[in-house]
Amino acid sequence: MTVHKQPPDAITLEVIHNGLRSIADETFIALKKSAYSTNIKERDDHSTCLMDRRGRIVVQAERAQAIHLSSMSGHVRAVLAAFGVESLREGDIFISNDPYVAGGSHLPDVNFAMPVFVNGRLTAFSCNIAHHADIGGMTPGSMSADMTEIYQEGLRIPVVRLFREGRLVSDVLDLVLLNVRMPEERKGDYLAQVAACRLGERRFRELAARYSSDNIEMTFDEIIERTGRRMRRLIRMLPPGQYSFEDVMDSDGHGARDIKVKVAVTIQGDSISFDFAGTSRQVKGNINVPFADTCSMVGLALKGLLDPTTPNNQGVIDLVDVRAEPGTLVRPNFPAAVAFRTHTCQRIVDVILGALAPAMPEAVIAAGNGANTTAIFSGTDPRDGHRYLFLETLAGGCGARSFKDGKDGVQLYAANSANMAIEVFENSFPIRIERYEFVPDSGGAGQYRGGLALRRIYRTVAGDCLFVGSADRFTNVPWGLFGGGPGAAGRYVITDTNGTETTLDAKPAPVLVKEGEVIVVQSPGAGGYGDPNERNRKQLARDLQSGKYSGEFIERHYRRSIDELRAIQIDGMLDFEETLPHWRST
Amino acid sequence: MPIWIGVDVGGTFTDLVGFDDATGQVRIHKTPTTPSDPARAIVGGIEQIVTSLGADGHPIEEIAHGTTVGTNALIQRKGGRVALITTDGFRDLLEIGFQNRFYVYDFHRDMPPPLVPRRHRFELKERVTTGGVVVTPLSKGEIVRTLAVLPATEIDSFAVCLLFSYVNSDHERAIGEALRARFPNKHVSLSSEVQPEFREYQRFSTTVLNAFLQSVMSGYLTSLKDGIDRKYPGARLSISHSSGGLMSADVARRFPVRTALSGPAAGVTGALEVARGSNRSEAITFDMGGTSTDVAMIQGFTVAHSYGSSIGGYPVRLPMVDVNTVGAGGGSIAWFDRDDLLKVGPRSAGAVPGPACYGLGGSEATVTDANLVLQRLSPHGLLGGAMQLNAAAARKSIQPIADRLEMAPELAALGIIDIVVSNMVRAIRAVSVERGYDPRDFTLLPFGGGGPLHARAVAAELGMKEILVPSHPGILCAAGLMSAGLSENFVRTTHASLDDHGLRAIARTVQLLVDAADRWFDIERIDLPKRRYESFLDLAYQGQSFEISIPLSSSESRHPCLPSLKELRSLFMVSHERAYGYSSPDDPIVITNCRLRALGLRLEGPFRMQSGPANNTVTIPSERMVWFDRSGPQPTPVLTRDTLATGAFLSGPAVIEQFDSTVLMFPGDRATVDDDRNLIIKISA
Repeated sequence: MTVHKQPPDAITLEVIHNGLRSIADETFIALKKSAYSTNIKERDDHSTCLMDRRGRIVVQAERAQAIHLSSMSGHVRAVLAAFGVESLREGDIFISNDPYVAGGSHLPDVNFAMPVFVNGRLTAFSCNIAHHADIGGMTPGSMSADMTEIYQEGLRIPVVRLFREGRLVSDVLDLVLLNVRMPEERKGDYLAQVAACRLGERRFRELAARYSSDNIEMTFDEIIERTGRRMRRLIRMLPPGQYSFEDVMDSDGHGARDIKVKVAVTIQGDSISFDFAGTSRQVKGNINVPFADTCSMVGLALKGLLDPTTPNNQGVIDLVDVRAEPGTLVRPNFPAAVAFRTHTCQRIVDVILGALAPAMPEAVIAAGNGANTTAIFSGTDPRDGHRYLFLETLAGGCGARSFKDGKDGVQLYAANSANMAIEVFENSFPIRIERYEFVPDSGGAGQYRGGLALRRIYRTVAGDCLFVGSADRFTNVPWGLFGGGPGAAGRYVITDTNGTETTLDAKPAPVLVKEGEVIVVQSPGAGGYGDPNERNRKQLARDLQSGKYSGEFIERHYRRSIDELRAIQIDGMLDFEETLPHWRST
Repeated sequence: MPIWIGVDVGGTFTDLVGFDDATGQVRIHKTPTTPSDPARAIVGGIEQIVTSLGADGHPIEEIAHGTTVGTNALIQRKGGRVALITTDGFRDLLEIGFQNRFYVYDFHRDMPPPLVPRRHRFELKERVTTGGVVVTPLSKGEIVRTLAVLPATEIDSFAVCLLFSYVNSDHERAIGEALRARFPNKHVSLSSEVQPEFREYQRFSTTVLNAFLQSVMSGYLTSLKDGIDRKYPGARLSISHSSGGLMSADVARRFPVRTALSGPAAGVTGALEVARGSNRSEAITFDMGGTSTDVAMIQGFTVAHSYGSSIGGYPVRLPMVDVNTVGAGGGSIAWFDRDDLLKVGPRSAGAVPGPACYGLGGSEATVTDANLVLQRLSPHGLLGGAMQLNAAAARKSIQPIADRLEMAPELAALGIIDIVVSNMVRAIRAVSVERGYDPRDFTLLPFGGGGPLHARAVAAELGMKEILVPSHPGILCAAGLMSAGLSENFVRTTHASLDDHGLRAIARTVQLLVDAADRWFDIERIDLPKRRYESFLDLAYQGQSFEISIPLSSSESRHPCLPSLKELRSLFMVSHERAYGYSSPDDPIVITNCRLRALGLRLEGPFRMQSGPANNTVTIPSERMVWFDRSGPQPTPVLTRDTLATGAFLSGPAVIEQFDSTVLMFPGDRATVDDDRNLIIKISA
């Protein structure tokens, strides 16, 4: 293959780009296959990517997580800062997880990076990040609502070599494994990440042998440059100006209430910046967001608004100028606790949407359920003495769109966990699920209504159970846009065998639930979009006749005659259509 | 002497294979599909085949039929009106699904709407929990109350989906009986009959899809049967299903969802026969059609089955041939993305308007247009000239792309091919890595209209060394229908632990499945010597939410012999190691499902596609200028496939044209023709 002085043509670029994406996807699958942690194996809570020699992301695996993007590049930047390019050797592998010294996310997410050399020259990095089932700390699983500093959340790993020139630095691995629960399994996770790095290295060299590393490095620059250009072209079409918005988190579980998240977005020509000045100081509870994750969420919001099909690479990251004061909720200083950062991550997206609503009224959506409503159950099944521990998160409403209703009961933004099948759940735990359903009236009114919340009702059927929750938007409800009404709040309720209800806080202290008692976990709904008076009769009739809304709600918010709506004959078998906005053709 | 027919109805063409059991003669035929009345093309095609077999007036024994009626109804959402009856507290389960999003970054794109609107989803008081234990009994009054509120006039079929019905189906059956008694003209689908396996959302979704298709399939089969009966009374009609076998038309009426993913399965069955005939035990099948390409792996002469998939965005839980589909085909359209990179597909020109060169109104450049510009496809058209191609239109469609890239149209066309190949290569890599295999250890087995044309580039890119092109790559699905047996799958969810006690329970369960299979064999009137039983166990480490299916035995005996505990444990660990890279010798293992595939053989001996002699007419190969790479066109011999006799030796470059496909050999490639007249191409290093 000849060496081009010019960057490769658009066809060769696309073929090499495809080859690079194939590598990221293969390493993603390889990591998933050989890992032990259920988070990785079954929930795909891991990501892989290739970076250039400067630590810029070139391709990310197709199924990679949005929240991992910035953290992976933060890790490699930390490697380069700590060790310098000249000390990197073929066969080295670097790991880290700490948000304060190594660009990390929360501690269970461990970053790996392997420098890739072609003909003796550092050309790329083969990288991955994965959520381990345990990283030590005060509770099994290293996730709990009552943590107040990072030391409690697990082992902090700065950037260190796990492999030196192809040989395992066993001192490091021994040290790490001594600090985590079930070290044998965890060792499997670390080795899976090593295998994925090495597969990426091997495949990359094969590609370089085919297309020459010069061509590939020029392709790196082109891909990143073109992505940036593609996004900037879209930004230039937005009305320049400064747009700001603020919202508040309910609580941190340690006394702080109404914690402010504020953003000012400035659009000027083809540049866009996000300034979080005015956001609350960091809090004691573990809802602080490491800065890398804040940047990932800004990237996610911008991609979602401008062009969801943009490739995920440094071009997107570099485009966004994110500013936040150190020591705040979105850029905490050591030793703030961060394990449940996801609640706040959701809110970061909400405030960006709120801020940009005047600038991009068609693309923005109203506030979604804005939390990662979590339920953790633990106890011992008295029938067989089996101990159980289980964590699940409940989806909620999606905000209404400018051209259609918000989707009911769906995960958003940083959260995308699937639910566990009831027929698996009841087989595994002494708990019965009595209902799993939409919460009527929970989506805000509007020309397009907000998505409905979900409710999952659990009854303990054998033995007592310890319930731990962590949620938000129990007091500060999801807002609507352009006249749309707010969605309903979420809630936790325990009902004892006499029928007495106890309502819990959004970040409750652990509660012992007695055998036969009922736990209601209800997520927040979502806000509506546009003036409710503009909602068409057919849709209202459907709201009413489907039972998703009560007659009382409709009368109060839409001032329509219920009898008239009841009389409308609804035809068609689909409650909603799979429509895409008019400005997107494919 | 009775004639056997295989007929595969696709969007554009109806392919037929006819086989005379007495003489061993085979004939093939391809005719345009008649969408408004598919029976017309089918009956007309059969007439042609029977005549060419010289068997006019002979009875037809069986017509094995592959159909996309169900698939299309699902994709276009044109099915019956369904009401869902489900357990109190769970009517939204169908709409909640897995509660996650497929497009994480997309604020505007949702999962598709459920096929039953909420106002047609009804709850009734009853509850069964783990182990089949009834928590809340179902009362007669509750059934009566529910029947009274059903909007019967707005409904074509009922889906009954209750929690834990896979282990205790009493409540579902009681409701089913009441519905059938009250509404004898409507269809009823019970989740415990459609697919009695755990995990409620997948089971409910599959059952609803089944109900959605029942009226469509029923109507289709009735009119088809009428059409066939008029001409060939007594011919048995069998329908292809997703696990690569056939089912009787009656079963297809009850379980139409099984046809929805049957298209790719028949092709793989045909490919498997080809691999057997050429003695290639490890192969990757590569079925490239107009809009998509299906890829499957053959290992040790067997095709893996999977149990979960989705269609039109809806999950389907059914046994099926493990096929992966890529959105790349001959009709895939080339376009520029917002970053000015050239992309090909997944949008396709389909059959109508089709590629620009079809002259049916398409103007966008497609992969087929690129192949024509490069003269890899004949300027004289396809199907032996029956289908004209317009080279000028192809060139015109490529021109804007060439202009934007500032290169010659031929180079732009090469680029389009390079990109579509890289898309397919990416998919094949993912499929093989996911299963723990290296594609270099496999033979590429291309079929479909476009497979043999692109196989060389795909194989080279993957480091594969050999390509096996079947004698009739364009009608392999119809051939697969011919070699398939009548089959039925039985399953029971067990949740037994892998120990002596568990194994005893499993032995009893397997025997129950064998009994069920025998009842089915009796109904289908399959004689004892033609009965085969293949059993499988789904195993997982305790706590895992995915299972590995371990094949146990394939036998003629109705008393399958189970392996010992130790053997089973080691079989599982070897498979786990391959699939996931590790195994844990001490962790507890659970058996989640027992499965049995009952297979009724049809033909007496193996079915071979190629039986006639080669066409001995001496023809002087023509030549045309074909583009292989950017260095320019090369004079390339153009051969006719049916002149290539067993033992023939060829060297590239060459274009080999045949009625149903075009094979491309690159300079330096070598090929031989084997006993079955398959072409075996060795790729030049």
